[in-house]
Amino acid sequence: MNDQFGKLLLVGDNPFQGISHLSQERARSRSETIISPADKAADVILASLKNGADGFSFSVSELTLSILQTLRERKSIDQVSLYPMVPYAFEYVRVATQIGTPGLVKRFAKQVTLSGDVKAVLEGLWSVARMNPEGFIKTYLAYELSRVKSSAGKRVKVVSVLLNEVIADMGLALDFDWLFRSFTRYLSKKGITPGFNTRNFPYLVRKFDEWGIELDETLIVTPFNKAGFQMNPSKEQCEVTLANLSCPVVLAISVLAAGYYKPSMAVDYLASLNNLKGLIVGVSNERQASETFRLFRGSP
Amino acid sequence: MGKVRFAVIGLGKMGLLHASLLNTFKDVQLVALCDKSALMTRFCRSMFSSTEKVVVNDLDKFSELELDAVYVTTPISSHAFIVKDLYAKGIVRNIFTEKTLASNYAQAKEMCEIAKKIGGKTMVGYMKRFSVVFGKAKELLAQEELGEPYSFNAYAYSSDFLGLTKDSKSSISRGGALRDIGCHILDLALWLLGDLKVNDIVSSHEVGDAETSVSFTAANSNGLEGRFDISQHMPNYRMPEFGCLIKCPHGEIDVNDDRLLLTLKEGCQQIWYRHDLKDNVSYFLGEAEYYRENLEFVNSLLENRMCEPNFETASKVDYIIDQVEKRIDKRE
Repeated sequence: MNDQFGKLLLVGDNPFQGISHLSQERARSRSETIISPADKAADVILASLKNGADGFSFSVSELTLSILQTLRERKSIDQVSLYPMVPYAFEYVRVATQIGTPGLVKRFAKQVTLSGDVKAVLEGLWSVARMNPEGFIKTYLAYELSRVKSSAGKRVKVVSVLLNEVIADMGLALDFDWLFRSFTRYLSKKGITPGFNTRNFPYLVRKFDEWGIELDETLIVTPFNKAGFQMNPSKEQCEVTLANLSCPVVLAISVLAAGYYKPSMAVDYLASLNNLKGLIVGVSNERQASETFRLFRGSP
Repeated sequence: MGKVRFAVIGLGKMGLLHASLLNTFKDVQLVALCDKSALMTRFCRSMFSSTEKVVVNDLDKFSELELDAVYVTTPISSHAFIVKDLYAKGIVRNIFTEKTLASNYAQAKEMCEIAKKIGGKTMVGYMKRFSVVFGKAKELLAQEELGEPYSFNAYAYSSDFLGLTKDSKSSISRGGALRDIGCHILDLALWLLGDLKVNDIVSSHEVGDAETSVSFTAANSNGLEGRFDISQHMPNYRMPEFGCLIKCPHGEIDVNDDRLLLTLKEGCQQIWYRHDLKDNVSYFLGEAEYYRENLEFVNSLLENRMCEPNFETASKVDYIIDQVEKRIDKRE
């Protein structure tokens, strides 16, 4: 690729969270081999940065917060640009499964209250009183940012906050333009780039155009891979939509089609997508981090 | 036919998922949403205020909306009451219900009888049938080159209740392991292998009044025998997983949510992942199979044909679950 890519390369957290979109069998065998997740993950992130990665993209969970804490304790956190994704839908669904939706709401309210973010708590109460969903978005984002900063330190570089694909795609489908506007407005005011993770990239672009939301100031995170895996409605339509964007705002994910391809097999396809801003790729160990990021950076 | 007018009852995660997907169909108009919770209704009214959708907390308000079809995505225990109410009040003839159809077979049977009298389209949310990998298994079995299946091992595993001992209410509210996750593998087995009869309970584990795991054997009259293992407390199952090993005279099919491995008697193997089986859909939310499931129901209305799995088909799952529960009770 000879760094024609010259693009943003982020290390993702799926291998740390025990996620494989290729197969759950693979994810299970992978999670059984991780002895000390936070320490091991911190090693992998630092190895990725050393070999060409520009930052770390992760779902905000207890595990990833402990990784940030570890990086902070090692005094390495300043090297890492952060791209947190919220909410960690899996955790919320799991809790709702175990204690029901009312239980989840109570637990969440308690966590926000205990986070010590007085402004967020007051805003949350005000939003409940007024039944104002936009207020909830602000309160929620303030809460998640406070979690990241309490683990990583107040001076940490949060470049972008990404909206999880389940919420983004639900919001798109239900025509909740207010969700995207309030998410964008809140983060832009804080100097953070609003990002949207989607499995319906052409649909999102069409809706943003219809709603008059400028794509140029956002990040779009969506699958791009040779197999067309999770590229909906089709690989061809995703490629055409990407090519027609006025500026590069797309970070490709699932670039290895969830492990279906080796990195070397993915490189040519990704290099052919001129309008990509960059990509996010997960790696499981330091050797893989070195090989993968050197390959994408075109280093010998 | 103009746009099909839909409403969704129950605004939990499945209700919102179906509402979202329906709203992306060009032939569908999502007209109304209903939840009995006053708080949820108020909140949703606020969320949907920029749209023309009606949000109510009383089913009777649906009568004025000239609906073509309703989705029922409330807890299982309420399905029968809501469906009967919808039919009795003449609100709608076409109903989609999340799985399982009912809390027991008697209720399911009654719902089937009423639906038959009314004559509308029905469907139950066994979306695993719309997965490309399980679809591939169906296709391979239909080709008959493998021969008539003679044995199977099917499982449904999750870690949802791993380590939980006292918070049994949540498992009960989800209907226990059989109704929560077991129903999917039962429906898949019936779809792939045909009707089955429950034989023996191998083991079962309960927390409070709900079973969190159960293993049992089943068979059919053609000599097919097999076993189901269903558990909500398996370690390392981040997401629920469903799978089945089907043995036939000329080879075997090992299929789960992610891939299908075909092994022929002479030893040659072929594997298909989702990637190989055109898993793309017009709108992706949760899993591709949810879109296909909704498409099937919508198309059955537009094309005026029956769809599968309808109430009658899905009631077979309720029947098997009843049989298993009776045997567990007898054992105790």
